[in-house]
Amino acid sequence: MLGLAFAISASLAVNPLTLFGLGALSMLFVLAFRDQSPWSRSVVFYIRLAGLVIAIRMLFRIIFNLESDPANPLLVLPEVNLGLGDMVSMHLFGSISAESLQAALTDGLRLAAIILAIGMANSLANPMKLLKSTPGALYEIATAISIAINLAPQLISSLNRVRRARGLRGQSKGIKALPGLVIPVLEDTIDQSMTLAASMSARGFGRKGTQSKARLTLTRFTGLAGLVLIAVGAFLLILSPTNQVLDLSITIAGLLSTVIYIKTSALGSLRTRYLVQKFRTGDYVIYLLAAVLLALAFSGVLNF
Amino acid sequence: MITLKDLSFSYLKPNGEPVTETPQLNRVNLHIAKGEFVLVCGPTGSGKSTLLKALNGLAPSFTGGQLTGAIYIDGEDLTGKEPHDFAHLVGYVNQQPEGFFVTDTVIDEIVYGSEQLGIPVKDIATRIKPIVAVLKIEHLLERPLSSLSGGEQQRVAIASALVAGQKVLLLDEPTSALDLAGAVEVLKVLKNLVKDFGITILLAEHRISRVIAEVDSVLVVHGDGSVTKGEPAKQFNDDRFAPPIIQLGVKLGWNPLAISADKAAELWKAKNHNFEAKDVSPAGEPIVSAKNLSVNYGSLTAVAPTDLDFFGSQITAIMGENGSGKTSLCWAIQGLGNRSSGSVLLNGSDTAELAKATRLDQVAMIPQRAADLLFLHSLGEELHESDVFAEVAEGTTAALFQKLAGRIDPSIHPRDLSAGQQLAAVLSIQLAKQAKVLILDEPTRGLDYSAKRALAKQLQQLKSPDRTILLATHDIEFIAEVSDRVIRLESGKVVSDASPLTELAWPSPFASQIAQITRTPGLISIGQVIK
Repeated sequence: MLGLAFAISASLAVNPLTLFGLGALSMLFVLAFRDQSPWSRSVVFYIRLAGLVIAIRMLFRIIFNLESDPANPLLVLPEVNLGLGDMVSMHLFGSISAESLQAALTDGLRLAAIILAIGMANSLANPMKLLKSTPGALYEIATAISIAINLAPQLISSLNRVRRARGLRGQSKGIKALPGLVIPVLEDTIDQSMTLAASMSARGFGRKGTQSKARLTLTRFTGLAGLVLIAVGAFLLILSPTNQVLDLSITIAGLLSTVIYIKTSALGSLRTRYLVQKFRTGDYVIYLLAAVLLALAFSGVLNF
Repeated sequence: MITLKDLSFSYLKPNGEPVTETPQLNRVNLHIAKGEFVLVCGPTGSGKSTLLKALNGLAPSFTGGQLTGAIYIDGEDLTGKEPHDFAHLVGYVNQQPEGFFVTDTVIDEIVYGSEQLGIPVKDIATRIKPIVAVLKIEHLLERPLSSLSGGEQQRVAIASALVAGQKVLLLDEPTSALDLAGAVEVLKVLKNLVKDFGITILLAEHRISRVIAEVDSVLVVHGDGSVTKGEPAKQFNDDRFAPPIIQLGVKLGWNPLAISADKAAELWKAKNHNFEAKDVSPAGEPIVSAKNLSVNYGSLTAVAPTDLDFFGSQITAIMGENGSGKTSLCWAIQGLGNRSSGSVLLNGSDTAELAKATRLDQVAMIPQRAADLLFLHSLGEELHESDVFAEVAEGTTAALFQKLAGRIDPSIHPRDLSAGQQLAAVLSIQLAKQAKVLILDEPTRGLDYSAKRALAKQLQQLKSPDRTILLATHDIEFIAEVSDRVIRLESGKVVSDASPLTELAWPSPFASQIAQITRTPGLISIGQVIK
């Protein structure tokens, strides 16, 4: 949740300092709260990805330089004219202004901050806990998501194991080495997913409740409609602030439909919940923090 | 409790024809009473797992294949039903608890099945108590599953398979990934489950010697499609899966066979027996020497600083429980693994500093999952690739493989080889260049007794004055069979370094089963006993 707030604020912010702060803050959260679980280690991957994104963004700005003769060039590189005709002023390299670089940096930072925010959510949120706090109706979807999330660290660990084992036999070079790596890892992953699915099934997952057919149709319809309406509403809200009343009403209709879906499908459900995840003070603090951040971002305070 | 009528099962090819002419299970008729404790045995690949999976719907739902005949459990006709329709009656536990866990804390895992079955919350609460008490996991409920030992994980898996009030428990080799202590813990609680809750248990297991005296009946899946059930002492006419205690009885012609160690000891004492002296090779020239070698992971010590020499002509067993540092020591000696201090000298140079190709030539290592090294589409390609890579004459690897495993059709896919054959293939690939050091990490996992005997013979063949063989395992019977020297690790420390004739003989706490039964100095393995 906080991750989402961070990501949204980052996409709205314009000031590189703010963006940098957001990124750093999300990493700080990770360092402060992470535990020794396998998914908390994935944060390293996100940091690398974020760094890479910034670097690529800068590099592209330098290579595909669209400015011709800036007022105060910071970096003067020989210009390569692509000669695409007179109408297109297209060249590679050339002189680059500090402003242009800053704009690229800001863009890169924005993407990086979003990535770090997602990384934070991913490495702090235990996917299994997600399963517990979802409403019954979303159970199937949540299960699918949490299995998918769990697969990534497993994939990495089996990749490491197989790579180490392959080092023992000596590898063929280049493309020929690929099947040696990919086949055992894929096999592992498929085996693991099948085992998990078998385990869930053997313990009763997938039993049908006592819902009537009409109700099943209704729940499915409201669920789908809700999702579509929310998506369209949110899209319009962010893109075109012209007709805010319409956009808002679409979003609200979507939310309502979803609520109906959750309520109706929970009724005939067979499943019971032994220990329902309760909200703790910490969770409220996080939601409060997220709300404050969003409010700040929308009001533009963060952009100085 | 369980009745099977004419149950047949075959795996099918993509075109719908059966893979083999005789089905895996062929017209099985069987009755198992309520509260019966049944041991399921048979050679590797005979269909033990398939039989268990048919009893909770996983076969054919998750395995593919075709099932005919009828299954009744607790009076319900469950023929052709999905696994979740069996879930209220049958609990299932497999070899690797980790991969089978759906949640991440003990309590969540235990209640998962009950939640899926829609059992009211207050009923779940009352059912948990007695079960966790029998399984001795009360103190673990709030812990994350990943922090538990293998034995603890397996007991949690058993609890979660029973909390919803299931009447039948199926266990598919539940101790195969556990060390001795963990395995004993798990097997101990099973008897109590039968006694306290009247649960019907089907246990497929290859550590037969520990349980055989406890079970009510033994069910043998022969591998030709037939399944027989009877009293424990009368079921073993096939020594592919017979434990040492049974092999001893067969060898000495005991009738009926002894199934408990006490009974066997009595029978042994009643007569005078001859046995061959154990053939222990003396140490040759030192091949590798570890000096001040240690491995730490953060603050955790995997291997404490140690000096060890390994000699030619010898098979050295590195023995210890799970987590005692065996694997870390193997990798550190091989050279690729983590090292915190020290050196391992081979021909005067450190194995960690050898060029990659040289290390591959001189140090051969077989990791825990040997099949990871096989990735081509046929056995022939694997053996050929090995010749090309090792730059040896065409056919070198194939000749070695034939020496170890006999003649096998080279067009077969490596995945279709038995575990023992896969191991032989990896051994011959790794030794194509006559490595001076051979390291095997836990090589007997998943092998039945006949495959273990074959491996023991192969290792004897591979002994030579300019090669030293290291073997990390907790399989005491196998160590007794093959080793010339035993090094025992306890939490990373070398606590003893001795001949198997002292380390594994009566009355050492690590005595092999034959030593425990015969209580005869110098007698530790079944191979020594003369008919």
